Amino acid sequence: MTTTAPARGRTGAQGSAPPRLARHRTGRTGPTLVLALGALYCLVPVVWVVVASTKARSELFSTFTFAPGSGLLDNLRDLFAYGDGQYGLWVLNTALYAGVGALLSTLVSVMAGFALAKYRFAGQRVLLYAILAGVLLPGITLAIPQYLLLAELGLAGSHLSVLLPSVISPFGIYLSRVYALSAVPDETIEAARIDGARESRVFTSIALPMMLPGMVTVFMLQFVGIWNNFLLPFIMLSDQDRYPLTVGLYTLLSKGSGEPALYSIAIVGAALSIVPLVAMLLFLQRFWRLDLISGGLKG
Amino acid sequence: MRTTKLVAVATAALTCVALAACSSGSGDEAADGDGPITLDYWAWGTSQPGLVEAWNAANPDVQVRHTDAGGGTDSSAKLLTATRADEAPDVAVVEYNTLPAMIVGDVAADITEQVDEETKGAFTDAVWGLTTFNDAIYGIPQDVGPMALVYNEARLAELGVAVPTTWAEFADAAAAVRAADPDTYLATFAPGEFGFFSGMAQQAGAEWWSVDGETWTVGIDDEPSRAVADYWQDLVDRDLVKVESLLTPEWNAQLNAGNILSWPSALWAPGVIYGVAPDMAGQWALAKLPQWEAGDDRVAFQGGSAVVVTTSSEHPAEAARFAAWINSSEEGAAIQIETGQYPASLTGQELATQSEPPVLMPQQTDFWTLAAEIAGSTLPDISWGPNVNVASSAFQDAMQAAADSGTPFRDALATTQETVVEDMTTTGFDVQE
Amino acid sequence: MTTTTPRAAHGSAATAAPAGAPRRRRRPTLAPYVLSAPAVLLYVAFLAVPIAYAVYLSFRGLRLTGGGAFGRRREVWVGADNYVAALTDPELGAGLLRLLVYGAIAVPLTLGLALLFALLLDMRGARLVRFSRTAIFLPYAVPGVIATLLWGFMYLPSTSPFSWVTRRLADVTIPFLDVPLLYPSLANIAIWGGVGFNMIILYTSLRGIPDEISESARLDGASEWQIALRIKVPLVGPALVLTGLFALIGTLQVYGEPATLKPMTSAISWTFVPLMKIYRDAFLRDDLPLAAASSVVLALGTLVVSIALLRLGQRRVFGEQS
Repeated sequence: MTTTAPARGRTGAQGSAPPRLARHRTGRTGPTLVLALGALYCLVPVVWVVVASTKARSELFSTFTFAPGSGLLDNLRDLFAYGDGQYGLWVLNTALYAGVGALLSTLVSVMAGFALAKYRFAGQRVLLYAILAGVLLPGITLAIPQYLLLAELGLAGSHLSVLLPSVISPFGIYLSRVYALSAVPDETIEAARIDGARESRVFTSIALPMMLPGMVTVFMLQFVGIWNNFLLPFIMLSDQDRYPLTVGLYTLLSKGSGEPALYSIAIVGAALSIVPLVAMLLFLQRFWRLDLISGGLKG
Repeated sequence: MRTTKLVAVATAALTCVALAACSSGSGDEAADGDGPITLDYWAWGTSQPGLVEAWNAANPDVQVRHTDAGGGTDSSAKLLTATRADEAPDVAVVEYNTLPAMIVGDVAADITEQVDEETKGAFTDAVWGLTTFNDAIYGIPQDVGPMALVYNEARLAELGVAVPTTWAEFADAAAAVRAADPDTYLATFAPGEFGFFSGMAQQAGAEWWSVDGETWTVGIDDEPSRAVADYWQDLVDRDLVKVESLLTPEWNAQLNAGNILSWPSALWAPGVIYGVAPDMAGQWALAKLPQWEAGDDRVAFQGGSAVVVTTSSEHPAEAARFAAWINSSEEGAAIQIETGQYPASLTGQELATQSEPPVLMPQQTDFWTLAAEIAGSTLPDISWGPNVNVASSAFQDAMQAAADSGTPFRDALATTQETVVEDMTTTGFDVQE
Repeated sequence: MTTTTPRAAHGSAATAAPAGAPRRRRRPTLAPYVLSAPAVLLYVAFLAVPIAYAVYLSFRGLRLTGGGAFGRRREVWVGADNYVAALTDPELGAGLLRLLVYGAIAVPLTLGLALLFALLLDMRGARLVRFSRTAIFLPYAVPGVIATLLWGFMYLPSTSPFSWVTRRLADVTIPFLDVPLLYPSLANIAIWGGVGFNMIILYTSLRGIPDEISESARLDGASEWQIALRIKVPLVGPALVLTGLFALIGTLQVYGEPATLKPMTSAISWTFVPLMKIYRDAFLRDDLPLAAASSVVLALGTLVVSIALLRLGQRRVFGEQS
């Protein structure tokens, strides 16, 4: 909070008094400064995770917050030794839940979204409203009924119990529909049909390529969404070997009475876990540009 | 058909789901048939893998599969849900104070029949009291946490403050510490620590739940408990203890800095402190918990857990045999001690006296003898009610609100009592007002 | 993409008679049914059925059967008892009130900062654009549990670098985790994690505005700030409404931050926000039916608020659904 205060104060001053003559100067330094402050605000805690992960157990609570420590290698060794290498399993599980889940979710969403946007069919209105309502539902309230249901199917506790509920995403469907409306012109579809294309071809060869940037967006949102989802795996799973990273790291911090929380392992684990996600987001960010270019052209 | 390809795509999507199912591997199916039976065991803590391994090696016909389903609170929440979904394990570790909730939640089975005389003789009556309700046994005690005082021996000596043996002395010592070093407190008071406060109240003679026939009496707001509340109220008001949640990064930092000099807790505390302050090894020591009356020897439990056989188990006899063995055999006790757990069994406590003191206090060679002495003076007849879970969250909220707003702690006890009684009445228990 | 929302609605509404057109000329096709089948199937299985079950459960209760001091709790029909209990519990209202305070800080600041950064990124002459965009977006990749843990370290007096500075300057520590600072502290975690995401949405939206519009204003002598405020902001209005709506829904569903921060401060109770109370009832008190009833109330409340907001805001945000 405190960190935002100066940033806001500064921008307020900027916004209220834009002296026309000094435009060129402020036009450069002002915005740049504010952006730099914003970047600083966002980076400081990330820097802290990295710094804290170098601290030995005894340094974590005793040295200055941003002073690097001497325990990085020990922490890493402890992390990978914990529970016979459970951390590695958590990483793999997360990749499965978030990666495969988001991929399937994107496919399911884009199919439904396209259908909702470009066809008229019985039950369409009901489906649309059902999806809008689904966007508004708090996930936490569904986790327990979902658990009981999956237990009925004998799936509770398995990888599938986390994967399957993650595949359906009302928000993803809604976004895909919006995207299909804008990115796939009716004329193109109609032209293809006149040329004798089948509905399947219309979808796979025309709609899908045009919706690719939107799909990247849906994929990314779903990926981060599943990655961040704590409660569903927390409720569904009892075997730590099937935990995703978030739940795994959480358990390091909430041990039973008589066992200390493993802060240093959790922190180094957190620092490591952020790396691949950041890399992926940075990589996919390129495609957001694609998205806006096509959006700009077609809109 | 125009739509065939679409059908193909749709099928592909669904197949992917199915494939993911297969690739997710390791199914849940247990080995059935004539082979060895498999028991599922939910337990947390470092001693468990060793215990399970030792049992499996000795019992090829009854193999146990260990799952760590999270610490006490998480694990018991999952047990309740899993029981409802018919997914519960055969055997599970449960903290003593949540055991009653597990009984009325139909998780823990009555195993009175399965407990033989030898197992009965392995624990003191006080310890059996923790798992016995209405003369029925619902679990085999695993570890216990008799309350004790751990303190920073080096710093107290430096400040010239003697280790208190009564709570009156504790208050004086707290004042002396404040006078000697204004940055330092003898102890912190965490208002939300249900286990600690109830233990102190029990030491003072409180009976938070008691049952007579079918009628419950709730005594959370009884006189001894109020006295405990007033005692801490006084220390807080005079700034002799610091109000601070336990084991937060803040608390850990203060502890490391030598600004918190003692922790009234239980025998498991040295391991916890070592976990957050390994550099302080050699500075800390263990003493008996201060008493309300000089010369008394009354101590309650804080923490500790039992192993229950679930109502869902298809092999209750084998499950009970497993639970008894890991908790009362010498092999089991050796593993417990090695991993820092204080055994509930007499064999184990006996065995512990021959082992090295905890790493936090290598200088205290009489650690385990003292521990056994403390364990020997624990109060019998400590009884928990069927809704400790309701009580602990209500207690925590009420006490923390009181600490924040400066209202009396004793009022928080009344609030908690009211919530607990109301919940029991709604559920249908017969509660005496 | 969200950016294209309003455009989408516009575009298709303007260009052709929408979606209906194809059908008129063609015989009915199975395509839409096949395409939406996986979604419908999964929706029914993992949303509709659980919702129905939750509603059913909200009329049940765990009551003692068989009598005795240690009778067993079993599920029975209790009618509207749970709803009465949920609605008369002052903590639900108090939790909503706390949520309101929290939301009043978090939502405008998240959106305001996101808009500000987006405008700056889009402004001529700004430097460090790529770096800032990436840096501000970075926190979005940090899972909530971890974000809260690390901010917790930033807040607690002994580990806080801010308090470290103030202690040296004025010998005071900042009580980040005590009321009233607790609310901005909590909101900050959400702002930190959310600004980047919303910024990207708005930035994408801004980039969709044709250059000629800004260019002609520039020729008319408008300053960059005037262009930003008078031309760009109104054009991304619909995107703002949408991000606002999702920020609002996000606020109503706040759970992770206070729950993770709870062990660090006594100012956060088990019933601090509605979802924490639901969690407590379901898991700590083993009262699933009561939790289900509160969930139904909360879900309906969210629905009403969202619809109201949409009515107030631009209806076109949700496309051309007649």
